[in-house]
Amino acid sequence: MMDGILTGVVTAFTTYNIMMVAVGCFAGTFIGMLPGLGPISAIALMIPITYGMEPSSGLILIAGVYYGAIFGGSTSSILINAPGVAGTVASSFDGYPMAKGGQAGKALAIAAYASFTGGTIAAVFLLFAAPALANVSLSFQSSDYFALMVLGLTAVAAFAGKGKFLKAAIMTIFGLMLATVGTDSDSGIARFTFGRLDLIDGISFLLLAMAAFALSEAMMNILENHKQTKEEMDALKKDIGSLKITKEEVKEMAPTVGRSSVLGFFVGVLPGAGATIASFLAYGMERSIASAKEKLKFGKGSVKGLAAPESANNAACSGSFVPLLTLGIPGSGTTAIILGALISYGIQPGPTMYVDNPELFWSVIISMYIGNLVLLVLNLPLIPYIAKLLTIKKELLLPLIIFFSLIGVYLVTFNNFDIYMMTLFAVVALFLRIVDYPMAPMILGFILGGMMEDNLRRALTISDGSFAFLWERPITLTILIITIIMLLMPLISELFAKMKKSKEEVQQ
Amino acid sequence: MTKNAIGSIFFLAFSCFYFFNVFNIKKMPGSQFEVMTASTFPFYLGLGGIIISLTILILSFIKKDSDFLTLEYLKKLDFKTTIYFVIAMLFYGFTIRTLGFIIATIIFLTIGFLLLKEKNIKRILLISSGVSIGFYLLLNNVLGVYIDPGMIYEYFVGVDS
Repeated sequence: MMDGILTGVVTAFTTYNIMMVAVGCFAGTFIGMLPGLGPISAIALMIPITYGMEPSSGLILIAGVYYGAIFGGSTSSILINAPGVAGTVASSFDGYPMAKGGQAGKALAIAAYASFTGGTIAAVFLLFAAPALANVSLSFQSSDYFALMVLGLTAVAAFAGKGKFLKAAIMTIFGLMLATVGTDSDSGIARFTFGRLDLIDGISFLLLAMAAFALSEAMMNILENHKQTKEEMDALKKDIGSLKITKEEVKEMAPTVGRSSVLGFFVGVLPGAGATIASFLAYGMERSIASAKEKLKFGKGSVKGLAAPESANNAACSGSFVPLLTLGIPGSGTTAIILGALISYGIQPGPTMYVDNPELFWSVIISMYIGNLVLLVLNLPLIPYIAKLLTIKKELLLPLIIFFSLIGVYLVTFNNFDIYMMTLFAVVALFLRIVDYPMAPMILGFILGGMMEDNLRRALTISDGSFAFLWERPITLTILIITIIMLLMPLISELFAKMKKSKEEVQQ
Repeated sequence: MTKNAIGSIFFLAFSCFYFFNVFNIKKMPGSQFEVMTASTFPFYLGLGGIIISLTILILSFIKKDSDFLTLEYLKKLDFKTTIYFVIAMLFYGFTIRTLGFIIATIIFLTIGFLLLKEKNIKRILLISSGVSIGFYLLLNNVLGVYIDPGMIYEYFVGVDS
């Protein structure tokens, strides 16, 4: 393990890679700050740039973008109450009231320190958890992987939110269906190509990610015709005030940051959960354990109320790398995009990555420390200036985002059919956004589709066509039982809610 | 109609289309002896898609879903500009090969800015030409990514050998 860590340190600390972390953090901060554009869009926009790089540098840049986007999302949450990322919605509950009260600088500083601590604590956890899980997963067989993928996809649907389980499930299947377009990897038979040569290689993941996220988000902005209000513009032009935090405030929020970081990391590890759930859970936990006097401050500018979601969402980002790096199973839309990028670099994440590409595995983990440091040391003092970029008119920004999305995909294949296909997918994604169907499960299904089919084929071949492989191995069976529990969870929770309601009615 | 119902009808139609096309996937000689063919996985996906979309559709009626796609909301949306943007994107896909990267990008960005009602013409031209020329130089000279100059350039200047 020490050899691996040293290799990672050497790789991560090259001038080029440190520069990549810094560039990633800056780009991510800016894109994440733009309301409507989240980390998935930020990463998708940066992927074409990373194609010419070494895989480790590319992944380091992407990880920097991820952190930066979360940090940027907090900035717009705090300054104008417009979260760029779902994971930073909880930060606006207390961050925005602080900014309104003339303490925007302090709120941003608290967010930065809490994010830094959360990210660093989680990176330490990752350092130990990832190799341990990778060692365990070395004994996994194709049936276990198939079960794990089913679990991952089910979990994403289960955590999609109240009443959204079936919607997320159909989106996952939609993604899996799109993944089957092209040549079958085993038999070489073309599927759903309708005689078009452009579809023989299947649909590119970058094309789908760009269309479903960056492009459709920009088009949604055009469709909804949101203009920045005068109040928002004034808030951005206003001086943000001092960035200093008092000793008392540090003492007050230290235990909160510690608790929320640990909680955030473990929520992040769970497939399907992630920064959003982690931040809301941490906020809820802090509120429930606060004294009656402190509880009154929540929602009105509480230091704890801001520090909790901020440390939890950053810790969850690191946590979400655990299943990705060790099992090759992404737990969220963002890590699914990162998995897609890794596959296009020619690297298959999973337990073997830890053995075959130790420099990549460790350098990403080490770069997370650097990324957190960059956000604190470089981005925080520059925030007043970066925030000014938010005053750029949408009339100028949106066509540029659309252009970069289109050209990013075109530059990979130089095939203008990709632009037509991307436009079609963006229109479909726009329609699905209007009717409120989530996009992340689709991209997760699309990326896992090929691997899932391969593992199912291998498992069936080993068991001579029998589905007995699902219950013959204890690991497969355990994973499938967890999957069934997750599948039934929405039903069980609904049943409990009904029982509680009827009890209350009887009592009344 | 509710949002759930509208979405489920779309997925039902797509899943049916997908499912019926599963039967058009060619079979290799001897595939009947294989445990899994090229159409096995898509068959179950198509079936799953039909079942889930039907479930959403039925539930949206049984549960008396109240999340309607209202006319008031639709009236607020700027469909006209969005449709023009879609046409502009398709046009960009067509012109990038014929007019070449620089001219096509300048035209696309100019149309984009104008569609979003940016009135400062000087600013529009400066940004669109600056971005397209700057990006072209960055790709060709710094990142080493060759971009096809376009058929018009090739017709008049000739192809570099």
